[in-house]
Amino acid sequence: MTARRRLDSGPEGLPILGEVPLVTARGLAKSYGTARGARRVLAGADLDVEAGEMVAVLGRSGSGKSTLLHVLAGLDRLEAGRIEVGGVRVDRLREPALTRFRLTGVGLVFQFFHLLPELSGEENVLAPAKMRGATPGAAGRGRELIVRLGLREVAGSLPHLLSGGEQQRFAIARALVNDPPLVLADEPTGNLDAASGTAVLGLLGELTHAGKAVVLITHEREAAQRADRVLELADGRLR
Amino acid sequence: MSAALRRLRARGARSALAATGVLAAGAMLGTAVTVAYGLGTGFDRATQRADAPDLIASFDERSRADVARRVRALPNVESVSYRFEVKDVPIAAGGEVIRSGAVEVVRSGRRGYALLEGRDIAGAPREIVVERGVARELDLGVGDRLDVGRLGAHRVVGISLAPDNVAYPLADAARIYLSSAALARRFGSEPSEANRMLLWVRDSRRLDSTLVQARAVSFGVSDLRFLTRAGVRVLRDEAAGIVIALLVAFSLIATLAAGVMLGALGRADVERRLPAIGVLRAVGLSRAGVAARFALDAVLIALPAAALGIAAGALLARGPTASLLGSINELAPGAALLGPLGGALVALVAIACGASAWPAWRASRRPPVELLRGAELRGAGGRLAARLPAGMGWLGLRMLAGRPLRTAAATAVLTIAAAIVLLLLALASQLTELRDDPGSIGKRYDLAADLGPERAGDVRALAGVDAASVRYSVAAADAFDLGETLRVVAYPGDHTRFEASPLTDGRRVRADGEAEIGAGLADALGVPLGATLAIALESGGEARFRVVGIVAALEDQGRIAYVRPPRVLAADPGAPPEVAVDLARGADRAGVIAALRELGAGPPMSVGGAASDQPGFVSVLAGVLRTVALVNGLVALYALVQVLALTALERRSALALLRAVGGGRGELVRVFGGAAAIRTAAAVPAGALLSALVLGPAVGSLAADYAPLAPRPSAGQVVFVACGSAVMAALAVAIVARRSARAPVAAGLRGVE
Repeated sequence: MTARRRLDSGPEGLPILGEVPLVTARGLAKSYGTARGARRVLAGADLDVEAGEMVAVLGRSGSGKSTLLHVLAGLDRLEAGRIEVGGVRVDRLREPALTRFRLTGVGLVFQFFHLLPELSGEENVLAPAKMRGATPGAAGRGRELIVRLGLREVAGSLPHLLSGGEQQRFAIARALVNDPPLVLADEPTGNLDAASGTAVLGLLGELTHAGKAVVLITHEREAAQRADRVLELADGRLR
Repeated sequence: MSAALRRLRARGARSALAATGVLAAGAMLGTAVTVAYGLGTGFDRATQRADAPDLIASFDERSRADVARRVRALPNVESVSYRFEVKDVPIAAGGEVIRSGAVEVVRSGRRGYALLEGRDIAGAPREIVVERGVARELDLGVGDRLDVGRLGAHRVVGISLAPDNVAYPLADAARIYLSSAALARRFGSEPSEANRMLLWVRDSRRLDSTLVQARAVSFGVSDLRFLTRAGVRVLRDEAAGIVIALLVAFSLIATLAAGVMLGALGRADVERRLPAIGVLRAVGLSRAGVAARFALDAVLIALPAAALGIAAGALLARGPTASLLGSINELAPGAALLGPLGGALVALVAIACGASAWPAWRASRRPPVELLRGAELRGAGGRLAARLPAGMGWLGLRMLAGRPLRTAAATAVLTIAAAIVLLLLALASQLTELRDDPGSIGKRYDLAADLGPERAGDVRALAGVDAASVRYSVAAADAFDLGETLRVVAYPGDHTRFEASPLTDGRRVRADGEAEIGAGLADALGVPLGATLAIALESGGEARFRVVGIVAALEDQGRIAYVRPPRVLAADPGAPPEVAVDLARGADRAGVIAALRELGAGPPMSVGGAASDQPGFVSVLAGVLRTVALVNGLVALYALVQVLALTALERRSALALLRAVGGGRGELVRVFGGAAAIRTAAAVPAGALLSALVLGPAVGSLAADYAPLAPRPSAGQVVFVACGSAVMAALAVAIVARRSARAPVAAGLRGVE
């Protein structure tokens, strides 16, 4: 119940910058495959991210960057280790609480945007606002974000009619619609041209000024330079 | 081929799942083919094996020499056999007694029955052949002993089948065959009379003219009835028509469901393997090559699974089908069934092959780079989808809009299923009504008492009696065509107060010389409105009426005439009267019956429906229909679950995304609920219309073309099916949403299972 109250409280309930890390992960372990084919992608990784901080995670392809993001977001289960976000043990949450965590505790941005093709850009942004347990005023916030991100002209368009940059901005707006304290971005510029990529990174950077913690998964050194800290994932550990 | 086998082994679980789907579809198809083919061809097989006669004549017993003399005058006769049949002979074996034994004394010549076991009667004393239904009822085998009335113990030497009638106990009489020569050896003489004649013609196309002449040379022969092989077939078709029509409908649903299921599986497989298709295209494989690979994979899975499923379905249905065929004296198809089953196998494998190759062919049209990424991003649904409101339920609808063909196919399956379920329920209700409700055949009275016309006034005065009238009901034959029998019903006044079959043409009887006749009689005799109906009564007297109305009467297969009594009584003064009694609402039935007995009536007869003489059979049939309706509903549920599961599989990335951004099982239920609701909401009213306007009339005309028998679903039944469909849809949604909510989110986002 404590965990739920803290997550429900929105940005106001966040720890003060620099006081306690928003995200604390210790000894994360995760493997794929079985028996001789098993491959350990996380082998005791540790991570702390403070509110208002952007942390970039670099690594080779297949090093486990996306897996790290998935376990932080509660999309995948750990084999070992612990994850706390805002004081909540995410690794111990059962599915209903995990669903609530994903709705209001974390915002996700993907390389391939992952917009629902049946919904317009605006409807994609507002979809989490209409889910049970959404934060109050989420829909209004979503519309504001669309305007702020310069998407008003194309808000009614279906995703396949949008450019990559526009799609990714809609995806960012969707990630922020419930005002989560943590944003996890998985190669957000990987599918964009240079100009769009720069704009998207600028947007993510602005989030930190609003007190949000951002974890940026990337393999691009240039993108990583925007972060407050850069970590490298190798042999299942973060350095 | 070996590469294809390796591919299948590598996808072990999925290959097994696909094989299970094909196996289930095969089982459904195998069952439907076995039953439908068995029933559809059983009569022909039986008549061929039994060397069934083209014409059977039965008549009051008379000298065989006289009958032979009349037959000699007929043209086109190839051979003839005479029988002497003795009815109501008690037969007994193992402590069981059947009182309605019919002993047929057989002379030399063609038999008209097939021997299924043992041998034929050969002239030795105390040997007997029994019909299969009798053998089954008395648990008799070849070599067993059977006591035949006063003739004593006989040994069963053969078990036979004659397709001119249904088997005992569906038939009234339990037929057994004795040799005429054996009787002669035992008693010194054989019967010189005959009361049945079996006739084979040289040219069956000229049977009609032989029949006309047979009627002409039958002058003076009483209680004459002709039954042609075609006539037997018509009677069988009327009885089996409904069953066959329902089975065809059921197999149609099964095939459609199988098609949707296989299509769903094939499509799902292609969806899963889009990146692999991208790789194949990227390394230079043509679209045809891609489709061929999928087709080969599908054949390798479908062929053994379909063969196994069809064989299992056929084996499951074989026993009940043989039993059903046995009860109507027909033969199971045996090895002849292999052809249709082989056809079903080819069809099923072709469907599975097409269901896999076609989406692969279509998918391979996309640019390889798009396929390599998983290729989900599409403007699905177009403008129509874009106009729908936002929200999770509508999202389900939008997802469907992107798959219009599949949505149409699934809705068609549900529509047909709803229509068939409604038809079955309506048919079951109608059967029950026909059994119990005299009103269903136009009768508006409750009791018939064997009292003379002079007591009608006394009956009317009884407490609890609303109306009473004297009524005559006599058997008659067409005076010009003695083979055409009918029932004549006479009331002194307005008969519609007591019996009112719907008038389809002309008007009601107003005068003594007028008649309303059933459509069945009008068709049989070719008597139009205004023509003269001349009838010969059992007394030998003749009466003539002018036909003023045609009614849709169900009783006596529509071979009925309603008239006023004077001309009937003039032709047959001994016609037995009775008093038809209509009870007042809420009357004490038992009290009225007691009062009627006090007036001198025997036990009054309760008036039932058209099928009141077979109440048990009707109950069983109604129960079977309701059970099939339930099975049908379950098939529809299965199809709906499959289609929703396919949507879940195809859109696993979208669903995973919904969950990644905070959607729980509730959101999934709303998405799938929207997808299921539109199909179900469309299917129920469409099914009701299909049932009432198309299937009902079609089945009704199969059952009886002389009366309005078309089963129409009631409003209550439509509401029941609508509620059932809603429950079914909710169940399907719950199953699929539960399954989807358990799938790993991260894997769904990667587009893998």
